[in-house]
Amino acid sequence: MANINWRTINIDALDPESSYNFDLSTLTPAVQPVSTADVQTLTGQIRQLLRGGDASGALQGALENAPYGADEQGKAAHLSVVTECLNQIRQAEMTPLLQRMYKAEGGSELCDTLMKYLYKGMSQGTDTPTRNHAGAKSMTPQATGGFSQAGGRNFGGTEGGGQAMSVFLSWHEKLVEMVGPGSIVRVMSDRRTV
Amino acid sequence: MAAPEVHHLFHAPIADHSFSSDRSTLAVARDNNVELYKRSGNAFRLQDELRGHDKTITGVDIAPRSGRIVTSSQDRNAYVWEPSKNGEWKPTLVLLRINRAATCVRWCPSENKFAVGSGARIIAVCYFEEENDWWVSKHLKKPLRSTVTSVAWHPNSVLLAAGSTDGHARVFSSFIKGTDERPEPSAWGERLPFNTVCGEYLNPTAGWVHDVAFSPSGDALAFCAHDSSVTIVYPSAPEQPPQAVISVSTQLLPFTSLLWSSETELVCAGYDCGVYRFSGSSDGWQLTGTLEKDTSQSRPGMEQREESALNMFRSMDLKGRSGAGVDDTKLKTVHQNSINTLRAYDESGGQVAKISTGGVDGRVVVWNL
Amino acid sequence: MSQSLRPYLSCVRSTLTAALSLSNFASQAAERHNVPEIEAASSPELLLNPLTVSRNAEERVLVEPSVNSVRVSIRIKQADEIEHILVHKFTRFLTQRAEAFFILRRKAVPGYDISFLITNLHTEEMLKHKLVDFIIEFMEEVDKEISEMKLFLNARARFVAESFLTPFD
Repeated sequence: MANINWRTINIDALDPESSYNFDLSTLTPAVQPVSTADVQTLTGQIRQLLRGGDASGALQGALENAPYGADEQGKAAHLSVVTECLNQIRQAEMTPLLQRMYKAEGGSELCDTLMKYLYKGMSQGTDTPTRNHAGAKSMTPQATGGFSQAGGRNFGGTEGGGQAMSVFLSWHEKLVEMVGPGSIVRVMSDRRTV
Repeated sequence: MAAPEVHHLFHAPIADHSFSSDRSTLAVARDNNVELYKRSGNAFRLQDELRGHDKTITGVDIAPRSGRIVTSSQDRNAYVWEPSKNGEWKPTLVLLRINRAATCVRWCPSENKFAVGSGARIIAVCYFEEENDWWVSKHLKKPLRSTVTSVAWHPNSVLLAAGSTDGHARVFSSFIKGTDERPEPSAWGERLPFNTVCGEYLNPTAGWVHDVAFSPSGDALAFCAHDSSVTIVYPSAPEQPPQAVISVSTQLLPFTSLLWSSETELVCAGYDCGVYRFSGSSDGWQLTGTLEKDTSQSRPGMEQREESALNMFRSMDLKGRSGAGVDDTKLKTVHQNSINTLRAYDESGGQVAKISTGGVDGRVVVWNL
Repeated sequence: MSQSLRPYLSCVRSTLTAALSLSNFASQAAERHNVPEIEAASSPELLLNPLTVSRNAEERVLVEPSVNSVRVSIRIKQADEIEHILVHKFTRFLTQRAEAFFILRRKAVPGYDISFLITNLHTEEMLKHKLVDFIIEFMEEVDKEISEMKLFLNARARFVAESFLTPFD
């Protein structure tokens, strides 16, 4: 405790009434927790469909059962199976598939879910220091850090992942053509993350 | 359909605008002042300025019958402006007792109260106290957890709807003894003491609610949220779940304002810079069209297009934009930036024939429905 | 090369268009203040989910939207150490002149090379779609600039080496 820099303590975090302590769980209507084991059985079923050659059915199934209530591990498992589905579908089949999906009952919701997975897929592998207030509400003061000239960065393997990203990007392009910016806004505002 | 009437007043955002009941005076919120414009012929000319606030004004509303103007601002205050004998406007400070910005203000239909939403997670319901000769407020506080973005009155002047950035649209009772008459029981509730929560609605993605509105009869509530959706709620009976909650998610950018043009039709506008119509009933709602007219009639000549083919491919390739290299500074819509507020301009018996919109681009546009 | 640039930029474009739906929003934490919520981060409900658009592991854009401000961070392609130094010098040059640049943030978000902070004041003053155009244009220009500088540097190095070695000829 001796080393705490009192000036950098966020006193708002200590006041339960302050807006800083807004309970985000009030924004997620009815999400049941899903265990990692359940996600694993689900992904197993989807992979089975995928092996059977029914990539679009597998994708549909994966999107319909997005595990909003799962933990990080479960979500990662589900993302990988969605990515597999997306990789299996050829460029020419994307638009007709999306059209069919969008026209169907509840299709716009499925498209929104797909959009979430596309952004999630693109953000993986970027160990982004996401906003540190929401996840771990740290009251400990942050180190101001020294001034660093051009920090080190590892080169090589630069183009790695480029192939996977281009799949996401072309899906994204096709999807935006269909559902417009509204879907992107929903990905941003929806607290049920994938 | 006649072309919309466009009034480009200045180059600054119009946070809110309001017409007087005879539509000859237009009050516009511009930065820290409210400007009053008088109609002369086809144009509006600046006539007066209401100075007094020292932060951005967030709301302005002219009471249709009494002609009083109420303004709210981010400086935490609200003023009621009354015309004096010599033609000047005299402000009266309202005792809001809030410690954050006032975000919106609306007169109730009976004009003896108004509601001010605030960033302090409070709605101040203000009424006139004769003995002290000032406007005092009572606070609606309870389930509000974030800034109130909009307030809307029920035709009976007791029920008040509010949208908030906590993603909920709520219906409150603002019954004040001595000021209000006891309201008729309705689907929203029977006994309505102050701060009764008659309804609390959340849409699936829980985006911030930008605007709320009661239908002309008051038997339905619509709200638009930051997830580009419009949700319509039909209550069934007091303390019962609503008989229908219909959520329409659109492909457009979010709407910031909405208006019931009749019992079965809604008009919405927002970040997409255009005005859109929805229609439906308790069985379902859908987007039916836009008020913008098609601008495809002026097609550029062939040679011009051929010349720019190279540019077009280049721009597609490098900028990720499919449009040709033509001047694309001007948007195709009438408003060149987001629309902030939508108001009824010509209304009779619950049917709105004309609406007015005010946008960030400093334009006020009157549209025929 | 540019084959994969197009979907990347169009993805950034649509993401930015969606994110630039900003309103004038006064602070809930401090009275009579109006601050960019994405920087203040004083109320979690006013921040939206951040989105990442990546072209590959080394090139990506992070868009962090909130109710009245959007932070856009760009990681510029750097294939080798020379490019790395060039990018660092270039972005430093820009950020030191940030006030002339309106939407430039003085410090990049960790993990990125340059950041922009767009607030509702900017979207009110300028046209939203032109702001998006500007960012996109910046992204393509910066790549071009860096590779040009690298070529120039190599040419100069060759010239210096040549004139240095001439006496020993």
